[in-house]
Amino acid sequence: MPMTLPILPTAIVGSYAMPGWLERLKTDYFARRISRHDLDEIYDAAVKAAVKDQESAGIDIITDGELRRDNMVDYFAERLPGVQIDRSSKKFYYDFYDSAVVSKLPMASMGLVQDFNFLHTYTEHAAKFCVTGPHCLTKRIRNQFYPNEEAFALDIARVMNLELKALVRAGAKFIQIDEPYYSGFPEDLAWGVNVINTLVEGVDAKISVHICYGNRYGKPSWEGSYRYLFPTILKAKVHQLTLEFARRGGEDLDLFKEFNAPFDLGLGVIDVKNTDIETPDMVAEHIRKALDVLPAERIQILTDCGCFHLPRDVTFAKMKAMVEGTKIVRKELGK
Amino acid sequence: MILKLNHLKVKAAATTQRVIEAVYALVEEDLMDQGQFARLQVELDWIQYKSNFREAVTATQGYKAFGQPAPIMDVHIDTRQVVLETLHDDLLRALSRAKSGSEESSRLPLEEFQSLRSSIVWTFNRFFWRHLLAWEAATGKSYDKALPGGSSDGHNPLAVADDVAEFLDLLCALQARNQLPAEVNVLEIGVGSGSRCAQWLDLFHQLDHERGTGLYSRVCFYLGDYSLDTLNKAKPSVAKHIDQCRFIQLDAINPIKSLGYLRHKILQVHLTNVYDNLPDEEVVRRDGKLYFVQVRAYVPNAAVSSIGGKYGIPPELFRDRVYHMLESGFDSFGGPEHGVSFWQELWAAVRLEERLVQLEDLPEFPFPEGLDAGKLEDILQDAPTDFRFHLSSGALESFIRTLPLLHPSGYMQVFDIFVTDMAQYRTGFFGPGKLDGSLLNWVNGALLKEVAQREGYNVNFRPFKYRANTHTSILYTTRRE
Repeated sequence: MPMTLPILPTAIVGSYAMPGWLERLKTDYFARRISRHDLDEIYDAAVKAAVKDQESAGIDIITDGELRRDNMVDYFAERLPGVQIDRSSKKFYYDFYDSAVVSKLPMASMGLVQDFNFLHTYTEHAAKFCVTGPHCLTKRIRNQFYPNEEAFALDIARVMNLELKALVRAGAKFIQIDEPYYSGFPEDLAWGVNVINTLVEGVDAKISVHICYGNRYGKPSWEGSYRYLFPTILKAKVHQLTLEFARRGGEDLDLFKEFNAPFDLGLGVIDVKNTDIETPDMVAEHIRKALDVLPAERIQILTDCGCFHLPRDVTFAKMKAMVEGTKIVRKELGK
Repeated sequence: MILKLNHLKVKAAATTQRVIEAVYALVEEDLMDQGQFARLQVELDWIQYKSNFREAVTATQGYKAFGQPAPIMDVHIDTRQVVLETLHDDLLRALSRAKSGSEESSRLPLEEFQSLRSSIVWTFNRFFWRHLLAWEAATGKSYDKALPGGSSDGHNPLAVADDVAEFLDLLCALQARNQLPAEVNVLEIGVGSGSRCAQWLDLFHQLDHERGTGLYSRVCFYLGDYSLDTLNKAKPSVAKHIDQCRFIQLDAINPIKSLGYLRHKILQVHLTNVYDNLPDEEVVRRDGKLYFVQVRAYVPNAAVSSIGGKYGIPPELFRDRVYHMLESGFDSFGGPEHGVSFWQELWAAVRLEERLVQLEDLPEFPFPEGLDAGKLEDILQDAPTDFRFHLSSGALESFIRTLPLLHPSGYMQVFDIFVTDMAQYRTGFFGPGKLDGSLLNWVNGALLKEVAQREGYNVNFRPFKYRANTHTSILYTTRRE
């Protein structure tokens, strides 16, 4: 499969459907019924299946489905050097660990490259690696050292910056930073953008920031309008904003025009908080609305957020609809 | 033999010695062998509901999935009904009946053994709500009067006032963060006469005015009920606030089916005494195995004779007349007065016999939505090893199919009779019982809580502090991170 992307390339935001059997096995691991070695082998098999599903559905940019992650925080909290974790604090795998930073974060590897390499080995498609952003992590890891959240987030950004550069050296071309908590804490946005800029400094990849209204347990954490992002977000040194529009409607698309936003748009066209499967025509209609605001060359077609909480068959059908709907518009554009 | 004493009532304690004597007498008289004696579990209980589905002494045989008897035999003795003079004979009769598994000539079964959820007793329950006015006319008192305390806890003025104040605080907090939606959606499921809604809107209007928050006009209060008649009857109660009210016919077991367009948009959901009246089923854990409780409704032959005699129904036609009434009403009785009288006597006589069927293929069991074998096994890890509990299937499905309606900052409150900890099931009998012509069960709140946690919600139980000596508690739910 060639690495050249078509116009309006398609991708999922990050996570793929978490199978029920994998949930049970994760819980078995926490209950000490299976070993870490067995769990890692299970993860390898699950990631391969998620990659294959995306390819079969016709997705252009592939992720590893984030199936090794219990949730969007713990995978990073466990790897951040200097973060202390109470491993008895979790009842279900999806719960957040009780984690805390008690001293300055040392600059050390988080070991994310290994998971990217695995993905890279098993797909010839373009691959995207997703990381949870520092702002989100500071909301879940208790700060017992830094004077404020911003200082803590900046140090996370410095550590993760090294990791992103390592990912680029390993061949990562697309990196996505997930910052869902912006929508719950819009007052943090100004320093949040500074943190993002620290995080991506010198990282030579196509960087997108995914900002949604939360997807914990497949439910929104907040409601509102993306208007809060503007104009502050315009200072972010990233290439793309990835936003949810399928569930919330496309009203906020006009903000891109109103503020002459320099970013490409990751257009959410699939509602991941609802098991109803979109039709290709519905997807096409979302894309046409976005084309009123931005040229096709600046738009990627995505799910609203991760598919973690959807059943696998529903996720696959939604991806197919996304691909078919995109094809309709490509045809209309003569591409 | 294991002897379990649930309630420490004086009468129950007095019965204990007589029960032991009666069981030993059966052994001495060679009416029970040592093996049967050894695996017998006798439970003495004070049945909360005076009106219920049990004989004074009942015995329940366990079966494997394909019908062979399992070495399980439970005996339940209702210490409130038991007659000590006949205990020996009652016990012998109950044990013989359960052990033989044969058709009982002293009973008229109304159905085959099946899940409680699909039993005819729920048809009686629906029939009651459909013919509530006729029942009330016959008894001369409204259904509310049959409730403990003589009225619905949902109408308690202090409870409503506290809720309105808390809700307005929430709205103000959201507004301060610029996150208050244009429409403030509130939902009540099971609206009765509409008086709680009217009270709530009166108080909201008043408090909104006093605080100068100006939010009343943004309130959309959805009154949801399965009965259009009920919704129509509720309209006069809320006439003052009619612009704020929306009337929605919905199935309490599946609210989101009718309200899907409000997914994630409702800031408050309220229910009072709805869950305790939704179809239920029960499971028993014994010796490390799970058994499903199958029931069969029956009418004792003595009641068939006496009721049939009074209403001119021969025994061989009795069952048909019961079904005919449940399907077609009271026409065949020459009018409601006679029919309601028959219905009331019949309902008082209806009993449930039970058997336990081992759940050998748990993953294939038709669990209510939100629950599966893995989750149940996980939940039971912290539960007592030998106990009987409600699945609360109807309540669980209703709950799981209502939660997605909640706005991220919204909450759901349910006033009902909840078992809040699985261990509580060791302390007594929690239904089913009869309340007027309806059926009610305590709700397995502990199970609802565990399932909801796995769906991303926090559940806690607040005492209902507005009425002394009440069994009502408040299940309070919010989204969790």
